[in-house]
Amino acid sequence: MCECECECSGPLKLGQQVPDFSLETYEPTKGDFGTFSLADQIAQKRWTILFFYPADFTFV
Amino acid sequence: MGCDIVTVSTDTKHTHLAWREHEKELHRVAYPMGSDGTGTVSRMFGVYEDETGLAFRGAFIINPEGKLLSIEVNFDNVGRNIDELMRKFKANMYLSRKTHEACPSKWKDDGDKTLTPGAKLVGKVHEALNG
Repeated sequence: MCECECECSGPLKLGQQVPDFSLETYEPTKGDFGTFSLADQIAQKRWTILFFYPADFTFV
Repeated sequence: MGCDIVTVSTDTKHTHLAWREHEKELHRVAYPMGSDGTGTVSRMFGVYEDETGLAFRGAFIINPEGKLLSIEVNFDNVGRNIDELMRKFKANMYLSRKTHEACPSKWKDDGDKTLTPGAKLVGKVHEALNG
């Protein structure tokens, strides 16, 4: 949960506008590191599917 | 399809590289593997588990305008079905063009039967789907 004193209202809800965020990435097609940014996705008018999972080298 | 899949865990990008290059089950993985070491993005989407510092198995569909259209979250030992995720993605993409329609549970792809919600459909869903 958010512990800052900002006005964040908890996790995102369905239908909400997702704030811009970025992540460092490994890009297998390039064999190199890169950056993913939601702002870039929106600028390119592309859909995004985010797929979270607990940890590399696990099983499911 | 104009869609990008990005996987996210709290592992480093270096661990992602090692896993992708080592695990044969992943040899067809061509999408970016995101590193959320601080858990910032995981917390934003409500999948960060404080006790472990790991992310729950969540899948989120975001449209090209940045709106969150679908949420699925499971505990660790239940895998997500990729066919179902793709079905939901295709349905959301279809409905972004056909805003007055709805995709029923058996809808899988463009061309399958849809519903048009409205007063005339009330109590008549069976006929609409089977007519």
